[in-house]
Amino acid sequence: MMKVLVTVKEVAEVEEDFEIEGTGIADRYLEYDLNEWDDYAVEEAVQIAETGDDIEVVSVTIGPERCEETIRMALAKGVDRAIRVWDDALAETDLLDVAAKTRILRAVVEAEEPDLVFTGVQAGDDSFGATGVSLADAVGFEWAAVVNDLDVDAVLDESVARVHRELEGGVDEVTEVDLPAVLTIQTGINEPRYASLRGIRQAQRKEIAEKHLADLGLDAEAVETDVRLTEMYEPESESDATIFEGSAEETAAQLAQVLREKGVGAE
Amino acid sequence: MDFELPAEHRMIRDTVREFCEEEIEPIAQEIENDHRFPAEIFGQLADLDVMGVPISEEYGGLGGDQLMYALVTEELGRVSGGIGLSYAAHVSLGTKPLELFGTEAQKERWLRPLATGEEIGAWALTEPGSGSDASDMDTTAEKDGDEYVLDGTKQFITNASEAGSVLVKAVTDPDAGYDGISTFIVDPRNDDGFEVTTVWDKMGLNCSPTCEIALNGVRIPEDRLLGEEGEGWTQTMKTLDGGRISIAALSTGLAQGAYDAAAAYAKEREQFGRPISKFDAIRDKLVDMYRKTERARLLTHKAAVRYDGGQSVTKESALAKLDASEAARKVAEDAVQVLGGYGYTEDFAPQRFYRDAKLMEIGEGTSEIQHLVIGRQLGF
Repeated sequence: MMKVLVTVKEVAEVEEDFEIEGTGIADRYLEYDLNEWDDYAVEEAVQIAETGDDIEVVSVTIGPERCEETIRMALAKGVDRAIRVWDDALAETDLLDVAAKTRILRAVVEAEEPDLVFTGVQAGDDSFGATGVSLADAVGFEWAAVVNDLDVDAVLDESVARVHRELEGGVDEVTEVDLPAVLTIQTGINEPRYASLRGIRQAQRKEIAEKHLADLGLDAEAVETDVRLTEMYEPESESDATIFEGSAEETAAQLAQVLREKGVGAE
Repeated sequence: MDFELPAEHRMIRDTVREFCEEEIEPIAQEIENDHRFPAEIFGQLADLDVMGVPISEEYGGLGGDQLMYALVTEELGRVSGGIGLSYAAHVSLGTKPLELFGTEAQKERWLRPLATGEEIGAWALTEPGSGSDASDMDTTAEKDGDEYVLDGTKQFITNASEAGSVLVKAVTDPDAGYDGISTFIVDPRNDDGFEVTTVWDKMGLNCSPTCEIALNGVRIPEDRLLGEEGEGWTQTMKTLDGGRISIAALSTGLAQGAYDAAAAYAKEREQFGRPISKFDAIRDKLVDMYRKTERARLLTHKAAVRYDGGQSVTKESALAKLDASEAARKVAEDAVQVLGGYGYTEDFAPQRFYRDAKLMEIGEGTSEIQHLVIGRQLGF
């Protein structure tokens, strides 16, 4: 028996035109969906479950009741059951920082004892990009960040995560990590499936267990933070485009002149 | 009275919408221009359990209700009228009657492959000389020992060239009028004498094959009779009650697709220094398009919910189909107008919706016949 825990998050996506109210974006401009990276993490976990025998995939989220529909979509794609952590202390928190998320998820990992934890590399809304690695450190698991390839057979046969990691400048690092481990999953590692309609129907009957902080042995202190959101604004954007017109020779000459003026190239 | 969709229905609608936008929309015009039935898309739809939405799980279907089926059909229509039409014909006309009227053995042999999407379904009612007056039928089925022999011509048969089975209406008792019509399951690939003689080039919906078929002494065993002899007409009426809901849903989808295209364009396109959506002439048009689309959807959902509740829907489905098909044509026409010159080009979707919408006022009972049906229901 093997268990894969996937952390997932419902994120707000902003419409093209929007207004900022205080330190947030007005609700009427928001649409909620599963965090893009998490979609790939769910797919990777489900593929492992489909390849091996007796593998349970559990997803965990921190979020209000509203996000159950989003979480249920992961259940429709093959996740076996879900845990949703929420209570009044969480509802009152403006900003859930990495340390708070780590405390909550550590409690879930300790209760569930998974062999593998998948998180998205980052969440599309607050983009801390740190939860996965922070969690690995807290629970004492090995970890690999920004994973864009995983050898599923090695996971099943050798209890080792043989991964490719996407580094800056197009460098591909190949690493072996012993289980239990946390992998932060990069987009493109697989092709997330559409939920089948039968999967959606079956997902209505799958469990989403609601847990309060107290159920995890935590209290309101766990979500306290020194990080405060002080301001939100839209940065001024500037675009300065020159369009050259004329024949290829004329436009090439104009481009050369601009480059020379800017000091590009040898004299 | 609850106007909110159940969560399960919403999730199914959203998933089908995502599939349609990702997989169908990019090729929608191309398959029209090529007059190509996109078998690969129907294969994917089968994998996602879309092909048998309102068919019992016992026979490989999804076990969903008519409302769920309407939502799925609307989403297909929103991106491709042709795919939506082939889908609706497959489900409502080619598949559903087998579930409603078939024997256990017929369901195993003929319903299951349709419900899973392994095969595409069709049915054949209309003839060259028999359209709105469907009872004036020339195709005959003569009993010969333990076989029937079918002879005749059927016209405008959706999916016939792709189908794994065709439900053919034929006269078994020429003196009995409506009560002399029966339904037969024909296997187009294996029954000798079945031939697709024409695949029509049409004003729109060209990725959905519309065929003329010839039945020349098609000899089939008697276990291909669906229901009893003489039940063909009552089966037809029941089938069309459900079928019209799907055409209404498809029409709502066409209207929604056309509205979406027009609304997006009107917000972007600037003339006289502002987006054209800010001018009364265009804004009023868009609001009117929205109103018609929403009305069509409400009538469609009302008919579907009544159907699921086991209530009579003859009036409601005819009304939904009448209203939604007209809405689709008018909204699509207005969408072409909003886009102006661009709306008239194949680079933009409104012209395709406009072409596709026209058929909705003709197929599965013309608007004139819907008036007749509704009038009778109202006691006129």
